[in-house]
Amino acid sequence: MTTLGATAIRAARRFASSLPALFGVLIFTFLLMRVLPGDPAVFFASGPNSGKEEIETIRKQMGLDKPVPQQLFLYLYDVGRGNLGRSLMTGQNVTKDLRERLPASLELTFSALLIALVLAIPLGVLAALKPGSLVDHGVRLFCALGVCVPTFVSGLLLIYIFYYLFGVSPDPTGRVDIFTTLPPAHTGFLLIDFALAGDFDGWWAAFKQLILPACTMALFVIAPLARITRASMLASLGSDFVRTARSVGLSWWRIIVTYALRNAILPVITIAGIVFSTMLGANVLVEKVFSWPGVASYALDALLSSDYAPVQGFVLLMASVFVIVNLVVDVLYGIADPRISIG
Amino acid sequence: MGLMYSKQMLGAAAALAFFTAAVPANAQTRAETLRYVTGAAVNTLDPNIPGSTREAFAVSLSTYDRLVSFGRKQLNGKWVFDLDTIRGELAESFDVSPDGLKITFKLRKDAKFQDGSPVTAEDVKWSLDRAVTAKILGKAQLLTGSLTDASQFKVIDPLTFEVTLPQPDKLALPNLATVYPIIINSKLAKAHATEEDPWAQAWLKENTAGSGAYIVETFKPGEQVILKRNDAWNRAAGDKQAFFKRLIIQSVPEPATRANLVEKGDADIVIDLQASDAQALEAKGKLQVISTPQYNAITFISMNNQMPPFDKPDVRRAVAYALPYDDMFKAALFSRGDLLAGATWADGKPPSGAFPIKQPIKLDLEKAKAYLKAAGYPDGFSTTFSFNVGQSATAEPMAALLKESLAKIGIKVDIQKLPDAQMSTQITEKKLPFFTEGIVAWLPSTDYFYRNFYTGNQRWNYSSIDNAELTAVAQKARFEADKAKYEADGKVLNAMNFDLMPQIPLWQPSQDAVMASNLTGYTYQFHRQVDYRDLSRK
Repeated sequence: MTTLGATAIRAARRFASSLPALFGVLIFTFLLMRVLPGDPAVFFASGPNSGKEEIETIRKQMGLDKPVPQQLFLYLYDVGRGNLGRSLMTGQNVTKDLRERLPASLELTFSALLIALVLAIPLGVLAALKPGSLVDHGVRLFCALGVCVPTFVSGLLLIYIFYYLFGVSPDPTGRVDIFTTLPPAHTGFLLIDFALAGDFDGWWAAFKQLILPACTMALFVIAPLARITRASMLASLGSDFVRTARSVGLSWWRIIVTYALRNAILPVITIAGIVFSTMLGANVLVEKVFSWPGVASYALDALLSSDYAPVQGFVLLMASVFVIVNLVVDVLYGIADPRISIG
Repeated sequence: MGLMYSKQMLGAAAALAFFTAAVPANAQTRAETLRYVTGAAVNTLDPNIPGSTREAFAVSLSTYDRLVSFGRKQLNGKWVFDLDTIRGELAESFDVSPDGLKITFKLRKDAKFQDGSPVTAEDVKWSLDRAVTAKILGKAQLLTGSLTDASQFKVIDPLTFEVTLPQPDKLALPNLATVYPIIINSKLAKAHATEEDPWAQAWLKENTAGSGAYIVETFKPGEQVILKRNDAWNRAAGDKQAFFKRLIIQSVPEPATRANLVEKGDADIVIDLQASDAQALEAKGKLQVISTPQYNAITFISMNNQMPPFDKPDVRRAVAYALPYDDMFKAALFSRGDLLAGATWADGKPPSGAFPIKQPIKLDLEKAKAYLKAAGYPDGFSTTFSFNVGQSATAEPMAALLKESLAKIGIKVDIQKLPDAQMSTQITEKKLPFFTEGIVAWLPSTDYFYRNFYTGNQRWNYSSIDNAELTAVAQKARFEADKAKYEADGKVLNAMNFDLMPQIPLWQPSQDAVMASNLTGYTYQFHRQVDYRDLSRK
């Protein structure tokens, strides 16, 4: 109980110490967007007859007619009140857009990470148990293939096979079949919401939509996870404590899982944390290919049209997610290896 | 044990019953549902909001009515909108006074808004006042039809409405058929207006208050819009209803996925496939591919006439004669569209006053070299050629061929690919020397093209040409009522344009509408989107 309390206090302290970094990110993105050469007002005033007057109207609407320091001040004031501004692209509040889209991205990324971990850890362990064997080379080949095929290629390939050729997957257009009624939104995670509502047809429909994009993303990140598992398993299998465990005649399972794997898992957790944050922000291609209404494709569209507010909101969100993920990783460290304390 | 077993059975039976009940319901509505997929997205329900997308225009055509709408005609066997036939939509009839200064509209007696209240001349007046007064997109459009002030609109009686013009303007009536002058339920809108927002722009962006053929069921900006039919609506040609009971408009960003969807029959119609996909689907023959050259749109190669070396007409002529038009057309568009080069004009005079017309120009490197020498650049020069990322599928192969061909006459070209917002900013600021862009005119008459795309210091004058004579002829043609004189003016403009060569018209790309073989009624519209009300299923 006391260790749990201590962990919580440390985590809170850790979180507080990352606030200045978040603030820095906020200001940096704000200035960066203003330095970029595109002018959003000109871009959005693109009706067939839009002239100077329309451009001025939009500029005023976006607050771009004021000097930059004043804009920054107003922006910080708004962010402080939880208002991230309005997107011209979707015409909605950025907070609302992100709140609707983040669960979609999170659900996809969590599923992908789960699939990747379930596959990568056993593969890595297997490869480490018999280094240089056929199994090891097989795993290496599989990983290399996963990494060297870009996600949009593997995504399109999976769509071609499972949707176009065999017709077992539903059409790759978003999170759920268009004719399915959505469950009441509690968490925003469709799988959880459908389960809570007791609608198992809906759950199955959402699951079928999710599985292809999740596999596409998982394929790409299996390699780093499996390789790191293998490397750290090798080190831990060759260490003194495993030799001791072997010599006292402990069971095979106990040696591998309890002693070797538990000691080897730390770097895997670190990498998993990094992989998760990267996937969340960088899965634009998967989101585009599967028409997934997530945050990454939203941010890319906004960036192309120089729509300031969504890009700034997205970067802030990603920075916060990164901070939280690092925090979780640190806490997991403590659970995996009680000798480590975060501070 | 026995109890648990029966419980499971019951659950399974219930699930089965639910499943079998659900399937026929879906199957029945599928034929009456139109699913349209697009790479773009709907971002507002009011087409007047600055930043509205073309998809938003298409939705507003179905959710709102205008006073009038365009008829359609056949062009090379394909249905296209017809600028010259205008029929009533909310108006039962309309009269233009002999001096052309007054247009009187009689409203339909049976027209009702979607909330059941009747459409009156008061609503029309409020809506058109809004279009010319509020800071919205309609203002600049209606200006082109001499509609600029609320005092021009007058309510005569609840079903009669009058528009007064300062001078006869042949674009006044067509302007009322464009996307912006929607007729809004003024009572409903006023109830949501505020002091800062007297025209209820904020509310109308997220809500509709129209009398159109479809009612918005769900609107998720950037993802999908679902519409259901307004059964009381009867404003299609021949007083008919719209055919489809339900419309699903869905954003699918990946073009390959859109092609898969329509090929599998999961989507009914798509108009923004890549040219290569459209060609492949046409070759397979399972689907209908209606390919209409966008006769109100043009792709240009533009040169900044105010910036050396392109300020010299001879340099521009040299570039024009050094482009491999046929190869570019094949590489960029798989020859889908109308090429605007390679004509022969008898005794060098334009055969027509229409715009655009095929130009008497083709690849001729000797001529190009001669022009370059005459301009004082015998050894050529270096420049950059820009296009925007959004167009790379067509612009990239075209730019590569252009670079290769211009190198032969000594012009060294660097290719520059710009993000869309950056490109439009630089065009507006007139900073790009040499680039490719497209234009579209909703009301494609010759003077409109020349006035909007060849005059003034504004964004759409890509070549930044500033020629007093051309401007004067175009302005004069605007109010020319005599058809023969108008045609003569058009010929003068076309001849000047070819001689000055401010920019090079390349082609009119095709709109490839790929659709299920049982769809009929597709018409190419001025806004270049599908008008869902046109379509039906055999």
